[in-house]
Amino acid sequence: MTTALTLDHVRKLYGAKAAVDGVSLTLEAGKITCLLGPSGCGKSTLLRLIAGLEPLDGGTVTTDHILSGPRFHAPPEQRDIGFVFQDYALFPHMSVEDNVAFGLKRLNPAERQQRALKQLQRVHLADRAKAFPQALSGGEQQRIALARALAREPALVLLDEPFSGLDAHLKAGVRDATLEALREAGTAALIVTHDAEEALMMADHLALMDQGKILQTGSPENCYQHPVSLAAARLLGPVNAVDVTIKGEMVTSGLGRLNAAGLADGQAVALIRPEAIKVNVEQTGGLSAVVRSSRFAGADRWITLQVEGHEGLELQAKMPSALCPSVGRQVSIDLDPNACTFVPA
Amino acid sequence: MTDLAAPLPTARPAGPSALKIGAWLAAGLAILPLLAIVWLALTRPSATAMPLSLILRYGLTTAALGSLTAVAVTVLGTSAAWLVVMYRFPGRSLFSWALALPLAAPAFALAYGYADLLDVAGPIRTALRASFGSDFWPMEIRSLPGAAFVLSMAFYPYVYLTARSAFISQSVCALEASRTLGSTPWETFTRVALPLARPAIIAGTALALMEVFADYGAVSFLGVQTLTTGVVRAWSVYGAPGSAARLSLLLLAVAAVLLWLERSGRQGQSFGANSARWRPLEPEPLQGWAAWGASLFCLSLISFGLLIPAGWLAYRGLSAAPEADRLIQAAITSFGLAGTGALVTVALAAVIAFGAPQNHRIKRLASLGYATPGAVMAVGLLAPASLIWHGAGSGGSQTVALALGLLVLAYAARLMASALGPIEAGLARVTPSMDRAARTLGETETGALRRVHVPIAKGALWTAALLVFVDVLKELPATLILRPFNFDTLAVLADRYASDERLAQAAWPTLLIVLTASLPIIILSRKIMQSRPGE
Repeated sequence: MTTALTLDHVRKLYGAKAAVDGVSLTLEAGKITCLLGPSGCGKSTLLRLIAGLEPLDGGTVTTDHILSGPRFHAPPEQRDIGFVFQDYALFPHMSVEDNVAFGLKRLNPAERQQRALKQLQRVHLADRAKAFPQALSGGEQQRIALARALAREPALVLLDEPFSGLDAHLKAGVRDATLEALREAGTAALIVTHDAEEALMMADHLALMDQGKILQTGSPENCYQHPVSLAAARLLGPVNAVDVTIKGEMVTSGLGRLNAAGLADGQAVALIRPEAIKVNVEQTGGLSAVVRSSRFAGADRWITLQVEGHEGLELQAKMPSALCPSVGRQVSIDLDPNACTFVPA
Repeated sequence: MTDLAAPLPTARPAGPSALKIGAWLAAGLAILPLLAIVWLALTRPSATAMPLSLILRYGLTTAALGSLTAVAVTVLGTSAAWLVVMYRFPGRSLFSWALALPLAAPAFALAYGYADLLDVAGPIRTALRASFGSDFWPMEIRSLPGAAFVLSMAFYPYVYLTARSAFISQSVCALEASRTLGSTPWETFTRVALPLARPAIIAGTALALMEVFADYGAVSFLGVQTLTTGVVRAWSVYGAPGSAARLSLLLLAVAAVLLWLERSGRQGQSFGANSARWRPLEPEPLQGWAAWGASLFCLSLISFGLLIPAGWLAYRGLSAAPEADRLIQAAITSFGLAGTGALVTVALAAVIAFGAPQNHRIKRLASLGYATPGAVMAVGLLAPASLIWHGAGSGGSQTVALALGLLVLAYAARLMASALGPIEAGLARVTPSMDRAARTLGETETGALRRVHVPIAKGALWTAALLVFVDVLKELPATLILRPFNFDTLAVLADRYASDERLAQAAWPTLLIVLTASLPIIILSRKIMQSRPGE
């Protein structure tokens, strides 16, 4: 593995408030890292710090040499880092081709045009080379912005909420095209998003961020199945949080007896994804529960289960609409032990 | 890594850029004359001081003139804007831009035209005497009300333009809501549209008043003694820069108040434009006499503001052969100065707009210059000017060049803010992320400016240059005070002929100004008409 960029304890203050608070992160060459967090968590600020668009207040940003550090700031034009902006920021006075060739001024005109066309082919828009940005659809503009950023063959490309401006039905297509272009270019990419599904689908590596801090990093699967905190778990989707007591590496609570190997005795929170709750309509063993409500959501239904004998313990589960029990029905539930995580209370 | 990668980044502490420093310098240039005035007023006791009673009379006259004009321009400008935006009547699309045309004429052009036309020996009163045996004309044009009439006709377009854009930016939704809540069209106008547009109307009136207080050519010709004519007299008749500076301080105080009014008005405009669902107004067709009444109203504004006085001047001018040599020389001087002034002013304004896009303090400094009458600006530059004249003797070509430089500086200091407006509007099309995109694509700060900002704002830069060009062409008092000896512009030449009562001769340079300024004004006002909120 080759490191494309390293962030070490990066800090950025706005007044007294730390927008980015001691972030350390490593980006690998050729890999796609997704930075997921709620809006206002500092993830876009972090992108601007990496690109050198703002000076930082602490820590360092390094590639094979230092880019930002104490009393040191390489200007953005010297960083070899591409940036795809949320609003695409295409230059309205230039044709698509000129936009893509904007950063290639060190090449001679013929090479410049050739390189721009190659990039346009990569995003399947070579036929729009002479058009102006205003004449393109949102999805096309996004791809042009990507081609423009990749044209300089940067070591790293940053994408700030690249699909947020697109209609839902366009997103999947543009997302696939973006992934394909990034893989083909072989550059390291850091994609900022607040959409959990998008992050899980695109990332080789995932970084979860909240309130200026990185909560967790790892593969999407690992982050999803083994969140380090309730906040980290919630960033990736709905989760049931149940207060439990651990004694002798076993959980004793309304959830039945569960293995909690390696955990110290005391209070903890069990994090259970909705799909980890297996609902059995034929009542056989397990925990017994009553269906309190049921909401239609297309292929699946969301149901709320009241665990019997435990006042106030309700679980959200998700199951195929066709198999869904009706409200008031008594059911038994099993928990997938691999899909339960315990975090300190 | 790539063949495009720059050499290893060089260490560079983040500090204020050269552009930002340039922006502060440019704004400093705009207030330099004002600081000089304060210094002059405090340090130069005049031996031949102007009597206090005289200063008081100037002040009262100015206040009366300002009040009368303010009422007139507000009513006329707002009514015209409302008619043009809300109703359909014969000639509406022509009127919508032509109502701004009087801006092409300097106020003194109107003063010359009306004074001659309505003179005791003029054609109208002669005809009245011939028909009725007596001359019962109600208003003497060479009087305070006469001057108020002339200035109102010259400056109502300021209110018309701001009110029009305010009415247009109002969403039809608010007006329709008012109708569904039981208001008649008239009630809708007074209870919804007018209050929404009030900040813009106040801003327009403040702009018109700045022009009224800055005017020298019209009021001095009509024999009305205002603070501005006082400043010029204190300098030329009393030879007392200290007195001129103290009078200027009064004008500066008034200017500051107007500026505050205009600024608070413009900030308030945002509540017209922030409606998320903006739908254009569909003008309602007027029928019968109402339609013709609306047309007549607009036509008479344009006639009184431009066609009648300019037409009469043309008639008078054609009756006498011009002194061609002086006229051509003055035209060359005028165009040269206006061109240079436009270039320098737009360059300075562009430095401010590019270098400090978010800095409101710098812009406030620059706009202080705009509210300052030209005569005041000139007095502020008199101290350095007299140093030059005394230092280098008189008549040397270097002296002339330096004096012209000062004159251009006075124009720039006064007009920087008016150039800044369109440039900023043009730059609004450059989003912050476009700037950042250029940087991440390998451009330096100045490289991004050259390849992104300037090309996108090119049209706006031309617009700004046209505005300044027209204003310099019409400028009189600052030129009168600061110009090198015997160095006449068209406006100065007109003023000299007019004060010698050679009106047929004065008509020629005046009409040259009006004709030259008409084309830019037509281009600009048509351009404004085509723009819509959000563009």
